[in-house]
Amino acid sequence: MTIEQKVNAANAQAVEILTKARPVWADVQPAIDVIPGMSKNTVLVPGPPLPVERITPPIRTSICGAVVHEGLAKTKEDAWEMVLRGEITVEPAQNHQCGCAACMVVSASMPVMVAEDRVYGGKGYAPIHPGPNPKCLRWGFYDEDVERDLSWFRDHFGPALGRAVRKSGGIDLITVLAKTAGMGDENHNRQPAASMYLALQVIPWMLDDPDPQRDEMIRHFAANDRFFLHPMMAGVESITKSIKKIPLSTVVAGMAGNGVEFGIQLAGTGNRWYTTQAPVIQGTFLNPSYTEADLLGYLGDSCVTEVYGLGGMSAIAGPAYLRMTGSTIAEARSRTEKARAVSLGEHTFAPIPWDDFKGFPVGLDARKIVGLNILPISHGGSALKKGGQGGAGAAELPLECFKDALRAIHKETLAQAEQEG
Amino acid sequence: MDCEKIMRLFQSELVVVNVGPKLFAEALEKQNYQTVQVDWKPIAGGDREMQDILAVLGGLD
Repeated sequence: MTIEQKVNAANAQAVEILTKARPVWADVQPAIDVIPGMSKNTVLVPGPPLPVERITPPIRTSICGAVVHEGLAKTKEDAWEMVLRGEITVEPAQNHQCGCAACMVVSASMPVMVAEDRVYGGKGYAPIHPGPNPKCLRWGFYDEDVERDLSWFRDHFGPALGRAVRKSGGIDLITVLAKTAGMGDENHNRQPAASMYLALQVIPWMLDDPDPQRDEMIRHFAANDRFFLHPMMAGVESITKSIKKIPLSTVVAGMAGNGVEFGIQLAGTGNRWYTTQAPVIQGTFLNPSYTEADLLGYLGDSCVTEVYGLGGMSAIAGPAYLRMTGSTIAEARSRTEKARAVSLGEHTFAPIPWDDFKGFPVGLDARKIVGLNILPISHGGSALKKGGQGGAGAAELPLECFKDALRAIHKETLAQAEQEG
Repeated sequence: MDCEKIMRLFQSELVVVNVGPKLFAEALEKQNYQTVQVDWKPIAGGDREMQDILAVLGGLD
C-alpha cells in the first residue's frame, strides 16, 4: 500500500464516521461529573492553548469570573493571581471534547450539555447558551448580575433541562437538522428554525417540572433563537472524539481561535494543535462606532460547527446571514462551493432546496486546502478587545496552520516507513 | 520541416490558449483577439516544500 493509499483509507474512515454518526443531546450535568480530566481547579477555555500572560482581556475576565463563581477566590484580581501562580489549570476545552463559544469558559460546577454519538459511542460537551442578554460570561463580562445568572443556570435551568432531556430519551440532533432543512439556518450564526424545533421537542417534558421557577425557565428557553448552537457543538464534539484516533488522516477534527492565534486539529494527530495568527472576522459591526482596531482575532470554539459542515461550509443554506453581514447570495454560493472543493464527504440528511438539494460538504482535507490553495470560510461573531460582541461575519481559515499540519502528517509517514524498515 | 503548414498557421486567425492568470487573456481580448482560458494554478500556490509533501501524501486527483 502506498502512503497516499494509506492516507486515503484513513480519511475514508474519518468521513464515514462524520457522515454516519448520530449525535443525540442526552443530558445536562455539572462539568466536573462528566467531562474527563475536569477538576475543581480546572477552567476550560476556547481555542488552542496560549500562555496565560498572552490571554486576552475578555477571556481573562471570564476565567476570573469562573474562579470566583466556584468560590476559589473572592475577587477577580485574586483569581488572576491564582492563575499566574499555576493554582488554576487553564486548558483548551476541545482537548476535553468540550466546545466553548466566543469568550465562554467552563468550570467545575457549571452545567454542561452532554451529547452522545449513538453509533460510535463518543461523548461531547458544551455549556448552555446564556440567551440574548449581551452582558454575560460568554462575551467576557463578570459582575453581580452575571454571577446571579450563572447561579440560576447552575441551580435551576441546567438541572431542569437535564431532567427534561433525560425524560425525552434524548434529542436526536440529526433529526433537528433534517426537519429544519430549507428553513434558512446555516447553523453556526443563524439557527432560529433549529432552536424552535428543538424547543418543541424539549418543552413538553418541562411542563411538569417540580422546580417552582419552571415557567421562568420555559420562557427563557423559548425566547432564545440561538440555543441550538451549543447542543450542536456538543454533538460535533461527540463525533470528533471518534475521528481523533485515526493515524495519518488529514481530515480536520477540530478548530478554534483564542483571539490571538487560530488553530486546527487533524484526525491523524488527535488533540495536537497547529496554530498561526488568528484572522479578524470581516462583516458587519453591531455599533457603527466600532472599527476593526477594536476587534480581537477569531475567538471561540463555535467553528467546530464548520468541522461538521455547518456555518460557512453550508453558507448557501442560510443566505439571510450573508445579507445581515453585508454580503451577497453569490458569495454564499461561493463559500459552499469552496468548501465542496476541499471536502471529502457530503451530509445527506439536510439537502438544501435552492442548491439542487445538495447536502452540506463535510470532512475538510488539509491536503486539498493546501494543494488547491482554496481556503474554507468560517462564520463567526467577533469579540471586542474590551469584551462584548463587536460584530458578525466570516473569516478565511488561515493557510499556515494547514501547512503545519501536513508537515506533521508527512513526518509521521516517514517515521512509519522507518519502523517498517 | 513543413514550412507551408507553419506559414498557414501564422496567416490564420489568432486564437490564444491562456494558461493561468487571466490578466494576459484580458489584455489580448482588449485588442480583439479571441482567447480560451484554462483555469490552472500551480499546486500549493507554488510552495515547493508543500509540493514535495503532497507528492507523497497525494489527495489531489
